[in-house]
Amino acid sequence: MSMTLATAQQAPVRGKARTRMLPYVLLSPAVLVTLLIVFLPMLQALVLSLHDFVLFRPTQMPFAGLGNFAKALADPVFWTSLQHTALWVGITVPAQLLLGLVTALLLNQRFWWRPLARAVVIIPWALPSVVIALMWRWIYDPNAGVLNDVLVRLGMLQGAFPWLADPGTSLYAIILTLTWQGFPFFAVMILAGLQAVPRDLYEAAAIDGATPWQQFWRITLPSIAGVIATAALLRLIWVANSIDVIFVMTGGGPGYATHTLPLYAFIKARTNLDFGYGSALAVIFTLLLAGFVLVYLRRTTRAID
Amino acid sequence: MRKMQGAALAALLALAAGTAQAESTVRFWYHFDNPDNPVADLVAKFEAANPGITVEAENIPWNSYYDNLYTAIAGGNAPDAAMVKLFAQPRLVEMGALEPIDDRVAGWDGKADLQDDLLKINGGPDGKQYYLPVQYVVSYLYYRADLFAEAGLQPPKTCEDFAKAAKALTRDTNGDGQPDIWGFGFRGGKGGYDHWGPFVLSAGAKFEKGGLTSQPVVAANTWLVDLYRNQKLFPPSAPNDGFQEIIAAFQQGRTAMTIHHIGSSAGMVKALGDKVSAVPVPECNGGRWTSYGDESLAVLSSAEDKDAAWKWIAFLASGDANVEFNKATGQLPVTKSGAANWTLHEKRFVDATVQSLPFAHSLPAVSQTADFVNTVWPAAMQRALTGEITPEQMMQEIEQLYAP
Repeated sequence: MSMTLATAQQAPVRGKARTRMLPYVLLSPAVLVTLLIVFLPMLQALVLSLHDFVLFRPTQMPFAGLGNFAKALADPVFWTSLQHTALWVGITVPAQLLLGLVTALLLNQRFWWRPLARAVVIIPWALPSVVIALMWRWIYDPNAGVLNDVLVRLGMLQGAFPWLADPGTSLYAIILTLTWQGFPFFAVMILAGLQAVPRDLYEAAAIDGATPWQQFWRITLPSIAGVIATAALLRLIWVANSIDVIFVMTGGGPGYATHTLPLYAFIKARTNLDFGYGSALAVIFTLLLAGFVLVYLRRTTRAID
Repeated sequence: MRKMQGAALAALLALAAGTAQAESTVRFWYHFDNPDNPVADLVAKFEAANPGITVEAENIPWNSYYDNLYTAIAGGNAPDAAMVKLFAQPRLVEMGALEPIDDRVAGWDGKADLQDDLLKINGGPDGKQYYLPVQYVVSYLYYRADLFAEAGLQPPKTCEDFAKAAKALTRDTNGDGQPDIWGFGFRGGKGGYDHWGPFVLSAGAKFEKGGLTSQPVVAANTWLVDLYRNQKLFPPSAPNDGFQEIIAAFQQGRTAMTIHHIGSSAGMVKALGDKVSAVPVPECNGGRWTSYGDESLAVLSSAEDKDAAWKWIAFLASGDANVEFNKATGQLPVTKSGAANWTLHEKRFVDATVQSLPFAHSLPAVSQTADFVNTVWPAAMQRALTGEITPEQMMQEIEQLYAP
């Protein structure tokens, strides 16, 4: 009898411990998977970046310390790529944001084919990057491309211009492509934000005699500022990392004219098989991006709290 | 639910039976541009003749073929046999990825039928034999016979003739003040070194210290870059143009000359008929250089069943199989019997190939050549063409790779 009593008394205590452990137990598979597929490769890249590791000499892997990093700082292609990355992000994200904002405002108006328009706008975002890159390569083609044809017919160009083969225009031509691809993301995010703005604010403003511009500046923009900031940060990280469109359109050429830092790291590792140097470039770039990632993480955690 | 379990079990059993039947599997990597390729038929034929061996042939896209191959080898997931080019051999040997086949070749009854010297050309850097040739080509000059006749020109024999012809053939045909036909379709993108070699390497270039930056070689490169930058005899897109662009431009009549090998002759004839012909590349700077395009087969050292892998590559390099293989790639068979009855190509293209053999070269068999082909040459050439660096700096960059 006393034994049964004892067990009965102990049970709730054990149960409480179990309840306390339960969240961790439930989380552990996800944490484990994340550790394995995200943090382990990151750690590996960090280790590789400290070694001279060339893939076709797999048995030799001398420790190089910060040698690869010093090499990067002395490498003119590194600085060119970094500069291109700044242009790439600095132009693409604001351009996508502006275009997305205008699109969202238009799509928030009432017109009879609005559902169709909303669906159509998504298309660039829904297409695979490789398809987009190939499509735009043809658009820019100096011999058969539609862009040159239109510009020549309009008299804006004397003759066909090699947009992707000229180092002065190739990066901007790809930036235009990426802007086209990415603006629907902003449009959709901002549209969702717009629909959450209470209607009565506008009614009140209208009664107070606010012009549409004042309504936009005083009501709309402050209401969607949070959405815009989050979307822009997220997009900034994505755009900075994205190499697929550049890789397909020019492969980084002509020369180094469309090299961005992640692309340079990829080419060094995958084509030149220099994984040590490639990893060092990737680590440097991660550190540069980390600042933006931190801001994003702080925003999202604040939103959750 | 029970039904599904039963089906899954049945599938598993079938799978087990399948693997039990084949005693060994050969994983084979190759690259074909041609979409209707006969490898499935060849595999079926081989498997019928060699019961117990299954061949899993995988077509890997050419642009990333070597990236994939090296990565697979380093990652321990290499194929058992693969199609390989000479420029990759030093690096593959350095990686220890290749299986020597000297003994197997010596005891092989197909050896006598191989064209003379091909085994020697394909010999390994350490004196061992790793490569079994399967096809070969030589780059030559395609030209538009009709445009040349119209302009009263002969196909160029020297660089001077070449520049003269390119100048005469770069024309504005629709009167908008801009050329619509360019004299020469130059390949400034990946793989374009075989367009560059005839004009620059012919000037006595050597891949060693001072051998690429000597005055005649730099002058030759300056001359070539000038044809694009100042004389504007190549299409404006030349710096980025790759295989598809130069072939399409020539077939569509937008260029009057270009350089490629017999592999594209069928498509050229289909598009242009008798209007297209070919001659060896011009003699430049007192020398002549054209690219020997090779393709061989190799057994990888990691292959589980090397005998089976050898049987498969030996099959592809001999008899009817080699003829079938080359009919698909449009290149030339490596067997004497195959060459004797070869009817696939028009005679003028075979002639241009054979006439080019005496001065056909491959790139140096050293590890740096892979980087030269894949990144150093394209990046340097593109920047020289767009004026970011001088032709001399381009040569210095290449020399830096070979002789730091």
